[in-house]
Amino acid sequence: MKKVNLFYIFSLLFIAVGCNDAIEIDQPGRLDEDAAFQSVDDLQAGLFGVYNNLDITPEIAFTAVFTDELAIGFDSGGQGFQDYGFTLNAGSATPAVIWTRSYAAINAANRLIEAAEALTPEDGEQALYNNILGETYAIRAYQHFRLQSFFSTDLTDDSALGVIAVDFVPTIDQNLLRNTNAEVFALITADLDKAQSLISTQEDPTFISLDFVKALRARMAAYRQKYAVAGPLAEQLLNKYGLATQEEYEDIWFDDSNAEIIFKLERTIGDSYDQQGATGTPAGEGWLGARFAFVTRGVDGSPYFEIGRSLFNQLDTADVRYDVIVHPSSVVDPDYASGPGAEDNDILVIDKYPGSEGRPLMNDQKIFRSSEMLLILAEARADGGSFNGATNSTASLIKRMRDARFGDDTLLPVYANQTEAFADILEERRIELAYEGHRYLDLKRLGVRANQGVLKDPVDCAFNGACSLSPTDYRFTLPLPIVEFNANPGLREQQNPGY
Amino acid sequence: MKKKLNGILTLLLVFMVQLTFAQERTVTGTVSDSEGLPLPGVNIIIKDTNSGTQTDFDGNYTLRARAGDILVFTFVGYAKNEIAVGGARVINATLDVDAAALDEVVIQGYRSSTKEKSSIASVTITSESIENRPNANFVQTLSGQVAGLNISTSSGQPGASSNINLRGVTSINGNTQPLFIIDGIPVDEGNFRSLNPQDIASISVLKDAGATAIYGNRGANGVVIIETRQGSFNSPLKMTATSILSFNTLQDADYDLLNSQEQLELTRTFGNGRGNDLTDAEIAAAPTTDWLDVFFRTGITKNNTLSLSAGGEKSTVFTSLGFFETEGILKGSDLKRFNVRNNITGRSDDKKFTYGTNVSLNYSKSNEPNAIGGSGINQNFVLGAFQSAPYITPEDYTSGLELTQGLTFLNTPLFLMDKLMNFTRFDEELKILASANAGYKITDDFSANATLSSDYTNEVFTSADRSDSFNAILFGGGANPLAGFQAQQTRRVFTFNQVTSLNYNKTFGDHTIDAGVYTEYFKAHLRSFGYNADGIDLKTFSPGDGAGFVDDNSDNDFFTDQANATIRNAGLFSYFSQVDYDYATTYGITGTVRRDASYRFAESNRWATFYSVAARWNINNEAFMANSIFDVLKLRASYGTAGNQTISGSSYFSAPDLTRNFFGTGGGYAGQNSIFLTQIANNTLRWETVTQANIGIDFEVFNRRLRGSVDGYVKETTDLFQSTPISAINAITLLNANTGTLTNTGVDVSLKYDIIRGGQDGFNMDMFFTGNYNKQELGDIPREGGELIGTGRNGGKLFEYYTIRYAGVNPANGNLLFLTADGDVTENPNADTDRVWLDKNIFPDYNGGFGLNMSYNGFFIQTQFNYVIGVDRYDFDLSGFQSPNNIAQFRNSRDILRAWTPDNRVTDIPALRATNLAGVTSDRYLRNADFLRLRFASFGYNLPKDALDSIGIASLRLFANGENLFTLSEWRGFDAEALSNTSRIYPTPRIISVGVEIGL
Repeated sequence: MKKVNLFYIFSLLFIAVGCNDAIEIDQPGRLDEDAAFQSVDDLQAGLFGVYNNLDITPEIAFTAVFTDELAIGFDSGGQGFQDYGFTLNAGSATPAVIWTRSYAAINAANRLIEAAEALTPEDGEQALYNNILGETYAIRAYQHFRLQSFFSTDLTDDSALGVIAVDFVPTIDQNLLRNTNAEVFALITADLDKAQSLISTQEDPTFISLDFVKALRARMAAYRQKYAVAGPLAEQLLNKYGLATQEEYEDIWFDDSNAEIIFKLERTIGDSYDQQGATGTPAGEGWLGARFAFVTRGVDGSPYFEIGRSLFNQLDTADVRYDVIVHPSSVVDPDYASGPGAEDNDILVIDKYPGSEGRPLMNDQKIFRSSEMLLILAEARADGGSFNGATNSTASLIKRMRDARFGDDTLLPVYANQTEAFADILEERRIELAYEGHRYLDLKRLGVRANQGVLKDPVDCAFNGACSLSPTDYRFTLPLPIVEFNANPGLREQQNPGY
Repeated sequence: MKKKLNGILTLLLVFMVQLTFAQERTVTGTVSDSEGLPLPGVNIIIKDTNSGTQTDFDGNYTLRARAGDILVFTFVGYAKNEIAVGGARVINATLDVDAAALDEVVIQGYRSSTKEKSSIASVTITSESIENRPNANFVQTLSGQVAGLNISTSSGQPGASSNINLRGVTSINGNTQPLFIIDGIPVDEGNFRSLNPQDIASISVLKDAGATAIYGNRGANGVVIIETRQGSFNSPLKMTATSILSFNTLQDADYDLLNSQEQLELTRTFGNGRGNDLTDAEIAAAPTTDWLDVFFRTGITKNNTLSLSAGGEKSTVFTSLGFFETEGILKGSDLKRFNVRNNITGRSDDKKFTYGTNVSLNYSKSNEPNAIGGSGINQNFVLGAFQSAPYITPEDYTSGLELTQGLTFLNTPLFLMDKLMNFTRFDEELKILASANAGYKITDDFSANATLSSDYTNEVFTSADRSDSFNAILFGGGANPLAGFQAQQTRRVFTFNQVTSLNYNKTFGDHTIDAGVYTEYFKAHLRSFGYNADGIDLKTFSPGDGAGFVDDNSDNDFFTDQANATIRNAGLFSYFSQVDYDYATTYGITGTVRRDASYRFAESNRWATFYSVAARWNINNEAFMANSIFDVLKLRASYGTAGNQTISGSSYFSAPDLTRNFFGTGGGYAGQNSIFLTQIANNTLRWETVTQANIGIDFEVFNRRLRGSVDGYVKETTDLFQSTPISAINAITLLNANTGTLTNTGVDVSLKYDIIRGGQDGFNMDMFFTGNYNKQELGDIPREGGELIGTGRNGGKLFEYYTIRYAGVNPANGNLLFLTADGDVTENPNADTDRVWLDKNIFPDYNGGFGLNMSYNGFFIQTQFNYVIGVDRYDFDLSGFQSPNNIAQFRNSRDILRAWTPDNRVTDIPALRATNLAGVTSDRYLRNADFLRLRFASFGYNLPKDALDSIGIASLRLFANGENLFTLSEWRGFDAEALSNTSRIYPTPRIISVGVEIGL
């Protein structure tokens, strides 16, 4: 071999390998910020992304296990024992999940709003553009209100600490402190005003409409005890949507009927929530029914939670809500309180989320129903002192509700005083809105006025002694989560009392 | 003999370029030391050629030479001996100890040196310490053999990868394992299951910056260089066949579990569970099933290797064939492997041009159960084996369908029996490692060299569940009777690496200069795709095949299949230079500079510079040492930097472009296609830098009876890439950033001592010790107070535990007691503010090995003990066995019989109905996992040569060995070694092997 030839070969090896193809690499399939939202259609796709952040699984799961909606099931593997024992602290899952996911939704909304503002819609696209923007504002308001409900000590006090109001895309080094309730509600109200001016859809069960905005205003006003605002809004919606028939009511829970539904989050096969999700923790994202049973509906579906006995005892078999809440395979032991082995002999299986589209346990998440509006109106009446009477009273509204659910004429309630009226509203909400994520907040805001707290049947709490919780207990406000303190230690000073 | 081989040789011709029998005659002999001890591994080279051989275990050699050739005998620590080949066919040689002639080759990255002239901290392990061991993954064999190299294996899955750390962990989030280079090919350190350990000739571990700086941004965690066996020039065909049979069994645990009678009685005491419904007689009659026996087994391993080596005037060849088959101790896990290797070297007539190729083809198939370590009672076999109620029996199993009717946790083992029958999951891997190197001496001083190498790995991963399995029926429900599925994923990775260099080597009197300039180019390509097919028709189904797939239809969305595909590319480019200067083999200095670019930091900090300086002083070569006890005394020192560009996970492809904001498209609300944020940019991203200082001494004393080295080091990682908390208002709560430092300070010690030197047939005994002490210290943590929960605190250990302290059982009421942050006893600690730093973590402070080797007249015994000190792990298995929550449905430890009652107030187990059992995370189950383990023991016999000659066999060795024979530890679980806080994991086995090695 010639020396020279080899020299060329080695030189070639040095030269042939340019370096740039090794160190300047664009990975395929990457979408840059600039290219993400270039048209109104892109904004529409972005809106579907923002919507996908909405999920009330955490409040449904937490409320059920922390209050008196549940008992430990015969097929329990230890799921939810912490929450069931009223153990709630800054390290618990629920505050972390509600805090982080709400802010994730707000962040997504803010990014879409920012992208929309940088875009000028073309002719013919203005209405769609407005709707997208309006719905996004409504989502931002809804998530701020969700945070307020769980983390503010007292929604009726405008000077109390609220949550952090975020109406911009933050930078990663921003660590903010809490705003006052007045400031947060100002942002929410402004967002709802914008939504109302931009949205053109009056009603739509699975997308945000003007009726959604109205329902949110009604609920928010009720939570803030601004009943002069809440009452009329709730009444308008109740009059428009009415109450479901017994047959419709059963169908609602199979997602076969949209009767009395103002807004629900759709859950369908193949979407990102179509999975079992982590069981026994409010952090689980998946089928709603899998918050209570591992596999499917009924006694064979491995229910790790069952209906709390104290709730079951409130149910009347003639009430359609008994059929909706209690699965027919349940084994009811009338003598449950005396015999040993209650875990095995008295099996009360939750059936509110039986599944849909052939998928067991997968159901739409009902956010606003007109029955809630009726109960808000009933609160407004009670608050105003008109709790008795055949018309325009708490009693007449409760009777209207019961008539619909029993499919029969029921007795007009008579209340000795305002406390009794609130107690009956709370009891009716407990049954009507069972497993829908209301009870915890209801006890917090109405418990004192109704003189009620968490009260479990002794059988359900014999093993851990956690039987009752006063509505004034500090644990009716969630603690700010440790996960936020890790980044934002200044916020520790603003931790809610008791934690 | 030759005739018999013809068939095999014909086969092998497929792989060989040429096979040469030279025209020389055979010379044999024995090489021994001045005391008459045979010396194995002595290099014998015919002077002025590259042909030669090595002595075998008994110091014997055979080679072919011409009369007039001069045989040069060299061996580490001995003086060179040259003997001319005359008329004699037997040439015995004696080598005298000579500390001044340490010619053992030390591999130093891109070049080699002699041990004496090496300035770096490195350890080389030869094939003797690796071969004939039963581990599917050779890395497990290295455990305890190299000071500072801590290897722990957390899974008993055959071929499972180990956790490998050299001198402590240097990264929190990124790759912490050394760079592995096999025959010049950089390979994925997580995957060696397809490689045959019997092909390995040597493993060199490079430890200090002097050694690793030349690897730039890949060298931060140390470098392990593996060379496979080669043939020798001008040597006859030599065949070695090895056959090993191993038996793998579960190691012991110390949980003292209840039998059925005790468990059922306990359910009565507890007032919940099956015992409440049974009569005393029924309880007494209940059978006790040991579910360990149902899910675990004695696994059998068969390991066969045939290797052939030969060499002619211009070429050498080494070929090996390997077949390995092992059953894991957990049913459903196994590994089968087939290997072919062909290593060829060649040279030109004038010997100025040399080249070599190393090609190996490796195929493996392993069945790997999934969900190990998980809490799925219908998924994790190990959970079923450990925890299932003893009064359930395998005979209770009927069918998957019946199990879905009346679900109960009690049936956990039956669900898993069903899964064992119906679920299939296997991984097939084809791995082709190929490298080619060439060198050309342009002048006497200059040479040009190039190494091109590639690693092609194709994994096909299959998992399938039958439609009649319990799990399919369970989640399919009545609506979907065809709910089985099959998923397959193909992952192809091709990497190409090229190093080109120009080298200069010149000696002027006492001065020697060795210098080189290099470029390195690295490119890696990932292509993967796969599908998930829902719906299986059993009539035509077989795992891996798609005939039984059910198509999508208009009735429902049950059979909508999912497809996926990924493309990723990665690359590095570097140029670097190294200069080594030696004066009279007494003083030396080596300097290295490397410029390095990584594709990861394209938009932030693309280029980095790494450097090192290393120096040595061979004190024993000084005149004043002439009559000292030291045969060798060398002082080394080095200082320098290396980088870690694999800052997120250990893959080439992870975190490819973290410097940019990204959106993605995909399923959004109600399954609608949507656009959403997927990545928040970090535009300050950079590599992690490890700066290391090292001082070491190599010594040999008492006529080389005691040999060893001691190294002290300080390694500081700066710009640690770690998850840094950010406010939830950013939609995420953690973002990875370069922040903080981590310092590892420690000492490595290696010692070897010949206790008795009895000569060739006499009694020999030697012992060895390797040890490492390593202290970690975090610094500059970017949080208020210098604390980052989950990572540690300034001045503390990495991943230091931060939790509430458990303080025992309250004698008054049986509740758990804890300590507040101030040390006061409480039943209801604050979950946030009562947590404290415990000064404990999972990484060892001390680790290493020691052993004793003996031989007498062909018999030999080897032992190797490993020890680990300073490891604290959570024993969540114990937590389950002591938990009242498990009484009704699982199995408990006898410990729980000590639970607090009003009559038994002073105890370590809380009342079964203690009101604060749930809700407090504490250190209650944090346990010391230090251990001393007989890691390896071997006993064998080399048959005498004269007995073998008559039957035409060159050597015959019979041996038996054992791994993990016993362990002393406070740890109560099955395997103290696992570096994991996960419970219900697959323990590594105890292995007993017998084997035979025949040389022809």
